[in-house]
Amino acid sequence: MTTPAPPTTPTGPPEGHAPAWERPRARPLRAARILNGVAVDDTFAEAFPMKATRILITAHNLTWARHAAMSATGFATSVIACGCEAGIEREVGPDDTPDGRPGYSVLIFSMSAKELAKQVERRVGQCVLTCPTTAVFAGLPVSPALAGSAGRPPEGAQALVPPGHGQLGGEVIGLGRNLRFFGDGWQISKVINGVRYWRVPVMDGEFVAQETTTLTKAVGGGNLLLLATDTDAALRIAEAAVDAMRRLPNVVMPFPGGVVRSGSKVGSKYAALPASTNAAFCPGLYGLAAESEITPDVHCVLEIVIDGLTEADVGAAMLAGMRACLEIGAAGGLRRISAGNYGGKLGPYLFHLHQLLGTQGGGT
Amino acid sequence: MNRVRLALKQSPALRVDLRGVTPAALHGLNTAHIERLTVTHGMQTLALAEFFAVARDDADEGGEELVFEGELSRFDRIGWQLTGGSVVVEGSAGDYVGACMSGGEVHVRGSAGLLAACEMAGGTLTIDRDVGDHAASSLPGSMDGMRGGTLIVRGRAGDRFADRMRRGTAIVFGDVGDFLASRLVAGTIAIGGRAGAHIGYGMRRGSVVFVGAAPSVAPTFVQALGDAAVAWQLLARDLASHGGPFAGLPARRISRHLGDLSSDGKGELIAVL
Repeated sequence: MTTPAPPTTPTGPPEGHAPAWERPRARPLRAARILNGVAVDDTFAEAFPMKATRILITAHNLTWARHAAMSATGFATSVIACGCEAGIEREVGPDDTPDGRPGYSVLIFSMSAKELAKQVERRVGQCVLTCPTTAVFAGLPVSPALAGSAGRPPEGAQALVPPGHGQLGGEVIGLGRNLRFFGDGWQISKVINGVRYWRVPVMDGEFVAQETTTLTKAVGGGNLLLLATDTDAALRIAEAAVDAMRRLPNVVMPFPGGVVRSGSKVGSKYAALPASTNAAFCPGLYGLAAESEITPDVHCVLEIVIDGLTEADVGAAMLAGMRACLEIGAAGGLRRISAGNYGGKLGPYLFHLHQLLGTQGGGT
Repeated sequence: MNRVRLALKQSPALRVDLRGVTPAALHGLNTAHIERLTVTHGMQTLALAEFFAVARDDADEGGEELVFEGELSRFDRIGWQLTGGSVVVEGSAGDYVGACMSGGEVHVRGSAGLLAACEMAGGTLTIDRDVGDHAASSLPGSMDGMRGGTLIVRGRAGDRFADRMRRGTAIVFGDVGDFLASRLVAGTIAIGGRAGAHIGYGMRRGSVVFVGAAPSVAPTFVQALGDAAVAWQLLARDLASHGGPFAGLPARRISRHLGDLSSDGKGELIAVL
């Protein structure tokens, strides 16, 4: 299941109970706004609260920093089975890292602080500590005052709100705090400017990890559904949207290449499964499923899922993605832009596509 | 800022203990009340007005500042157990300046006597000139020395600097005496000049950075072969912010020795090349 399961659970009689000729073939299109020949549905993406942290991975050069970052964010597409959703936020130059080496900032999201702490420890322990020359630092500020005079933060301590992020701030979770025990007693700590770092001897020298990283409230599950004429067009459009979103800070698109094809709905005919394929958006089920969002000119649908540190960040990414898609327009094979939601019942964050677009473009 | 000025009338015949004369203790007291506060002078207990002319300058905003004017080298325990606010000594200070402080700032524009910053746990103590023996160390008979905060000595330091120090940062721009960082438990020390004999005697952990002359390393230390570039950059960038001999540290290479093997052996002497 993708994170934002669109609310496409059929509400009519179960399939097979009504004769085929009485089943609805397609949902009536919601009042759409036509921009550059593309219908933008009057609908919204529904997102939900998550916990997140940013970590900064540096290395001797970008190649090795990338190896570590890619590995640490691998198998992190959906909280449903991965435990977290993660991605590389951006490349960070030597001037912006604590140790003057190049690196990558990584965002990791999970549904609870406890699960996030577990995921961070596992991923940093198995993917960063193991990677040659790397070091890892907290990407969100940890207040020295809250971290204690010795930089050892009390459990549950609240971190300061970083400048420019009204919703940020939260607990601190371990980064190198437990990984230090890999040093088997040879590890040493260094408190520098109120921040504690652990130095763990390894075969290429030493692995340096900041003791804690700040955890913050975040927003997961922003999404766009891109309905296109064919696979080539859908991929081209989705790639353009992801490229535009990646230029923005504080967001990641956790699926492979930022794009997901297996949009899902909540529930399944199989009791053991919490989610199943989003039949309403499967072109292959057009004419078969009880309800469908597909029109005859749509042969491929792709989805982009966005996790961000704040509601504004997710909204900005969705807008950037939509603008990139609309620039390609109908001439590039895009037919519709829609979004997945649960009817407003799941999450407190609703991203209305028309509101995001504002007064951009032409009429409806 | 609320400022209380204590201008020295004349140098006392004996040593005066100024413990308890802190910005927090003087907060809200009028001039007459401050003048009646008592301090010990040898075996006597005398009013503060016997030694100082008191003036105060109140403002609605800002913190508390206590300014001592004059040569106070016979006045001990300035800033003793300070928890907040600011103390400025326009001249020199006696022994135990900034001892046991856990917050706030103490700035001595002259020199300081013995045991400065001993058992300091937080805040910042800056001494513009020299400091005597046992700075950043422990009180006599105590097991742990400085355990937090920042000590900055812009001149020279005496013997046993940072003896038994456990945590925090102690910086000396000039030379230091013998037994630097002896029995060091942990923490960071940076020396801009030369160090005397017996460096790191019995040190267990911690880092001692030598920016000036290369230290004389005892045989109970071993040359470090492993790379510590990341930790060095973190440390060097922090030390460079103090300027003086520490400016430009991140761009310089280092050589490390680990020890003291007669103790825990996890300390490091870092010579900047």
